Amino acid sequence: MTLPGAATTVTGSSRDHLVEVHDLRRSYGTTEVLRGITFGVRHGELFGLLGTNGAGKTTTVEILQGLRHPDSGEVSVLGLDPRLAGDQLRRRIGSQLQDAALPDRMRVHEALELFASLHPSPQPLDQLADEWRLAHLRRRPFAALSGGERQRLFVALALVGRPELVFLDELTQNLDPVGRRHTWDVIRRVRDAGTTVVLVTHDVEEAERLCDRIVVLDRGRVVADGSPAAITAELGGTTTVRFTDADLDVRPLRQLPGAHRVTRHGIEVAVEGEGPLLAHVGAHLVAVGRPALDLHAVRPSLEERFVALTTPEDNR
Amino acid sequence: MTAITLSPARPHTGVVATALRLTATNLRLMLREPMVTVGLIGFPLTTVLVLAGVFGQVPDPEFGGVAPDDHYLAGYIGVVLAALGLITLPVHIATGRELGVTRRFRASGVSAGAMVGSEILLGIVLGTVSVVVVLAAGSAVYGLQAPDDPVGVAGWYLAGLICFITMGCAIGSLVPSARSAAALGNLVYVPMFLLGGGGPPRQVMTGVMSTLSDVLPLSHVVGGLRLAWLGRTDDPHTLWWPFLVSGACVAIAVLSARRNAT
Repeated sequence: MTLPGAATTVTGSSRDHLVEVHDLRRSYGTTEVLRGITFGVRHGELFGLLGTNGAGKTTTVEILQGLRHPDSGEVSVLGLDPRLAGDQLRRRIGSQLQDAALPDRMRVHEALELFASLHPSPQPLDQLADEWRLAHLRRRPFAALSGGERQRLFVALALVGRPELVFLDELTQNLDPVGRRHTWDVIRRVRDAGTTVVLVTHDVEEAERLCDRIVVLDRGRVVADGSPAAITAELGGTTTVRFTDADLDVRPLRQLPGAHRVTRHGIEVAVEGEGPLLAHVGAHLVAVGRPALDLHAVRPSLEERFVALTTPEDNR
Repeated sequence: MTAITLSPARPHTGVVATALRLTATNLRLMLREPMVTVGLIGFPLTTVLVLAGVFGQVPDPEFGGVAPDDHYLAGYIGVVLAALGLITLPVHIATGRELGVTRRFRASGVSAGAMVGSEILLGIVLGTVSVVVVLAAGSAVYGLQAPDDPVGVAGWYLAGLICFITMGCAIGSLVPSARSAAALGNLVYVPMFLLGGGGPPRQVMTGVMSTLSDVLPLSHVVGGLRLAWLGRTDDPHTLWWPFLVSGACVAIAVLSARRNAT
């Protein structure tokens, strides 16, 4: 995992990587949007590019798709340089873009048929329409679709050509909670079927639940690279074990392995520390004959880590 | 509701096949768009019926000794070409870019060549259908004169199509939005139409207006069409002029596309 301020390198063999990015830089006028980012995406993984609005995520993905050119740096996607082989590359990848549309009067079935015809071996459209709950919308024009329906259509269009690699930019934007979870399930199935997925998002929960590995971008720089659990744990995270007991003598809890601090607020007891703290506290309570029904551990969330990583120090 | 079975058309991923498929799709979508029908068929049709009806079929020295409705034949074609190149295509291109439709297609591997080819094909089909409808209506109602030199008419029409389609692509690539495309198109369209052969005959124009008319590419296209159709014309008809304008438009469109791509 890469910590903030550390040199960033693409780890693993480059043969394992479908995407390799090295020291990528891009400015718009005098604004430096990408300030030398480096990362790789391995074959078959569900990779997340996580960052706040304006962190440079969409610019990065547009460069990877060959829709925008970098000022400097090296990029390889499926072994191709997007600057030189953009059309060839884009026929092998799937893209769900953040800001895209279809003609207002184009019907759902026309969009699916047109985009399928651009690929040599498209997915069966009836199956795709069923999977993305578009079957009942086939005759509906694009302008009459809701935000969630449009989003589902765009994801279906991104997958229609059976891509080796698919970019999904703000995947669940505009989806209701049910649609969001359904989409997550389908994306996991897409990955399980062998497609490498690059998920671009500012939604920490989505990244945490879906991604095998994430890169956190902050103001054009990579500030973390690793699995969600590793990023959460290794950036100074501690565990807090909580339970209620009005009469327990809390002093022995300080002697438990890994315990750093014990506090009591009324009947609530909190033990902060590291390692398998929940097991030690539970064992102690059983040993003293006061097992707590509400014993639970609170671990630092990726969201807390994300906020810490992306908030300037003077604003914390 | 009738059930639809989804079946992709046979995949053809070459540039020409993709351009043809996009053109077919765009045409189908445009037929559902009332504004396009009004702009490309309704307005020229109204123009032919009104102008031919107003001036009549008696040869007139003010119109170089030909019947006014025959004099305006070439102007009717010019109306279609100008509407196509100054309004329909720019608005279509700018709308696609503004809404992200162009990006959506580009992200799916549709090449820039296929996108441009599709706009050119769209222009050819829309322009030709419109001209055929307008002339058929004019002939049916007023019995318009047959062309003196059909090959010449076809040649000048082709030159006009090339000029105004490339102009449409250039304007569409430059303007930031569909609204600005429509505003600019209408602003240029009216003087182009009035001074380029669709308005008063050259003999009644003032010196300034006549000079302005001389530099408009539409004047030369309409002048050439008039010469080929009637066997005579007082209008400018330099063939290289629309091609020169077209070349400049191609250069503008290419530069603008490169700027947009990066």
